[in-house]
Amino acid sequence: MSAALEVAERAIAAASGDDVQAFVHRERSGLARFAEHEVHQPTLIDNVIVQLTVVRDGRVGSSATNRISDEGLAAAAARAEQSAENAPADPGFPGLAGPGEMPEVAGYDDETAALSPEEQAVRARAAIDAAGALGVYGYFTSGVTELAVAGTNGLSAAQTLTDATALVLAGDAEVSGFASATSWRAGEVDPAAVAREAAEKAARTRGGGAIEPGRYRAVLEPYALSELLEYFSFDTFNGLGLLEERSAFSGRLGERLFDEKVSVSDEPLDPAGLPKAFDFEGSPRRPVPLIDRGVARGVVWDRASAARAGNGTETTGHAVPPEMRPYGAFPFALSVAPGAAASVDELAELVGDGIYVTRLHYLSVVHPREGVITGMTRDGTFRIRDGRVAEPLANLRFTVSVPQVLAEVPGLTRERKLVNRSDFYGERYPFGVVCPALATAAFTITGVGSSPGL
Amino acid sequence: MRHADVKVTSAVVRAMHEQKLLVTTDGVVVEQESTECGGGIDAIASRDGVVQVRSYPSAHGGASAQAGWEYLHELGLDREAPRVGEQAAALLRADECPSAVTTLVIDSEQLQLQLHESVGHPIELDRIYGTEAAYAGTSFLRPDDLGSLRYGSELMNVTADSTTPRGLGTFGYDDEGVPARREAIVEGGVLRGYLTSRETAARIGSGGGGSMRADSWNRMPLVRMTNLHLEPGEGSFDDLLADVDDGIYVETNKSWSIDDKRLNFQFGTQVAWTIEKGRLGRMLRDATYTGITPQFWGSMDAVAGPGEWRLAGLTNCGKGQPGQTAHVSHGAAPARFRGVQVGVKA
Repeated sequence: MSAALEVAERAIAAASGDDVQAFVHRERSGLARFAEHEVHQPTLIDNVIVQLTVVRDGRVGSSATNRISDEGLAAAAARAEQSAENAPADPGFPGLAGPGEMPEVAGYDDETAALSPEEQAVRARAAIDAAGALGVYGYFTSGVTELAVAGTNGLSAAQTLTDATALVLAGDAEVSGFASATSWRAGEVDPAAVAREAAEKAARTRGGGAIEPGRYRAVLEPYALSELLEYFSFDTFNGLGLLEERSAFSGRLGERLFDEKVSVSDEPLDPAGLPKAFDFEGSPRRPVPLIDRGVARGVVWDRASAARAGNGTETTGHAVPPEMRPYGAFPFALSVAPGAAASVDELAELVGDGIYVTRLHYLSVVHPREGVITGMTRDGTFRIRDGRVAEPLANLRFTVSVPQVLAEVPGLTRERKLVNRSDFYGERYPFGVVCPALATAAFTITGVGSSPGL
Repeated sequence: MRHADVKVTSAVVRAMHEQKLLVTTDGVVVEQESTECGGGIDAIASRDGVVQVRSYPSAHGGASAQAGWEYLHELGLDREAPRVGEQAAALLRADECPSAVTTLVIDSEQLQLQLHESVGHPIELDRIYGTEAAYAGTSFLRPDDLGSLRYGSELMNVTADSTTPRGLGTFGYDDEGVPARREAIVEGGVLRGYLTSRETAARIGSGGGGSMRADSWNRMPLVRMTNLHLEPGEGSFDDLLADVDDGIYVETNKSWSIDDKRLNFQFGTQVAWTIEKGRLGRMLRDATYTGITPQFWGSMDAVAGPGEWRLAGLTNCGKGQPGQTAHVSHGAAPARFRGVQVGVKA
């Protein structure tokens, strides 16, 4: 039995109710952050959070603690019980997840789990040294995340994940470039190569100028596409969003909304991503087709939204942590099918005249139902002329309808990249998007920001 | 909030009690306790493929204060609920905000976020020195801009005040042990101060720290906003409208985005109204506005007076790697801006 599962079993034994569930989330991690050429804000975390849920007469209460002594768990149990006593009965409560067969997944690597703070710092140093004269800003991080869930109804499951990410912005007052790499095997993350990619990109951004606002054809690197799809997924790939009619798929499932080259799914079991066996309710994770060759095919569900949907809808294993649950389920493992293009240069040829976008910044959903999202480009924006990546551009404000971006897609690359999408708020829960670069016929620029550089 | 077109209603309340102990090898021993309470309500209406939301007292989880449960009573969520539901439904039938360059009047809630994003973050001295470059970004400000950079019009006066009663950024001492205080950030439109740590203050030779905050025991303190206020001007909200023949009034944030140097921003609001000959006219939906920070604040030609000034706290300010979420408060009265681009279209 894993240490986390042992804590979960002790926690449910400490509480009393018609049904009790404990979810244990343990993190051991190190993040060596650097700026200019120095490591700063190094953070080592060793923590465990126990989330207890108690059900009494249809009333649900919960509590959380990081005190895992018998006394600490008893106190948490008392608070969860008191919370249930004080809660009104919830007629929509679907019950706690019962025992089920969990999928076997990869996602744990001994070498990654064994990385010491010193070795994390050495990898950060490798990135710093590889960027040359430019300043480097970013981090190397690795960690071990243990998840376990146990219930008085017989539910019992545990998983241990590893992850490692190197992220580098290379730049000075006049240039900036970005790159990152992530994997559940630290050996596949080469911080020096990441830094070289960022520095090479930065060197090409000097003198970036403005362009007129308007609709452009564009190439989006995986860094940019992954973030755009993540924000689109908040409402559109979310079963609760579908029920609440804020999803762009509302009333349109089964319709051809996108270019037939576009297929997107959630692939939580794929070892090319950061695989996970069960969600935060203890339900087994399942792959879910979201867009199938341009057709709006599905959304992800948790237990509450699936029960509300009725008609035999079942959870797909996409519940989020309790504090985020009012917003619905979330696809933590987005995966975009590859295309036929051999490189981003080939995508630029398909675009002909347009813009090339490396990375996005500070996205916000403007109109969820229409899939309208705004944000900025940064750290590597270029003009595409005559089918080739040409002169650098300033950071550009875009305001796009994602369905329009995906409506005409001249191509996608064969090669895909796992892009880390965790900013490591709260407890560590590594997740990312596996995606290619994509060419689009419609990317709307609505303003011009600052020139490249820090 | 019940209405035939309102499909989702939600209410949230939150309460937090924090105990914090800071002990350092240079002799600081500080023990502090604080209590926060807050809440808000939302109504989502939809009809024929149009979806609209209305919130009170603010979007994204409501408003909070360093106060007890009495704050919830003062908010009067039940009192405002019928209006919130009715306005959410009315938005379904409202016209879209047109694209135009026009006079814009902004309510205190949206203006608080405008202040947060386009003043609060760029004056963080660690950002100016680049330590947030890879994530939150840097700043258009430079260390030697202090005392000379024109941030906005002469009506722009901004203070950082970690002593504000009820502020979420109020404390006795920050997380480096520096006592709380009030300091000028912008005076008469000119940049006068930064948010600093002891280290960055020493580097610039100005300020004394006092803005270092960590969101948990397992995160390092960073330079964070405390309570940042746009000081009030004079007159009433109606006075702001009186000098507008043709303009837009916007209320309650819906979307927000700003570039890595905090120059180019775009905000969306839940609701807007036309301003016609000094009075509010038709309701508009899907309002957005965009601008460049110094030009925007330079276009501010009126700020309402103390009677219209409101303090509210938000709990979702992100920064740092690994990420940290700060609780900060802002005070602002509605203000008027000339020549603003509204109605950005995808």
